[in-house]
Amino acid sequence: MVHNKIDFNNLLKGYKKGWVAISSSHKKVVYHGKTLKSVMSKSKENKDKLFYFPSGEKYSNFVG
Amino acid sequence: MALVFKYSPLPGLERTGVLAPIVPITFTNGVYEFSTYALIDSGAENAVISTVIADALHIDWSNIKQEKGFGMGSQFLFHRFNDLKANVENNEFVIDVCVVEGIYVFKCILGRNDIFKKAEIKFKGYENKFELIFRKMN
Repeated sequence: MVHNKIDFNNLLKGYKKGWVAISSSHKKVVYHGKTLKSVMSKSKENKDKLFYFPSGEKYSNFVG
Repeated sequence: MALVFKYSPLPGLERTGVLAPIVPITFTNGVYEFSTYALIDSGAENAVISTVIADALHIDWSNIKQEKGFGMGSQFLFHRFNDLKANVENNEFVIDVCVVEGIYVFKCILGRNDIFKKAEIKFKGYENKFELIFRKMN
């Protein structure tokens, strides 16, 4: 089973530092907020599965 | 069946064109569920989640013994939490995680003691994709 690319560059473009909730298709940001708690609070009414991810981060020069 | 994922572009990596092996994952701790994306990192000994994610899963990490870990040139503080349920594309497994304080950029990482024991992983960086074949554990 081949999955589509999850393009965080496009998804997170324009979002400041905080957290986002991403749709289960991994194609759009549904909610954004300064903290994970605030984003999860906004998501409460949403019955779809959402994936949470930090926004406003730079991932260059990571060595792990 | 092999799950094939394409490597993901991430902010800040545009200059180098280097992409990252990332999978969608759902953790369950009792009645609490949290879905995010995890970096698959063969350099990581154990799975790592941030304290913020642990809070979302109602893991009482501050009451778990604090230990010291180390990475490239730095130390960090963490708390071990065992038997966390994880699910990647309907493949369920149980892992032990390190809840790391002050974690930087990647908030969730899967490593050699967890995902690499649960699945055969083939990195095909030259094709910008990787494959997961989960072992049948039962």
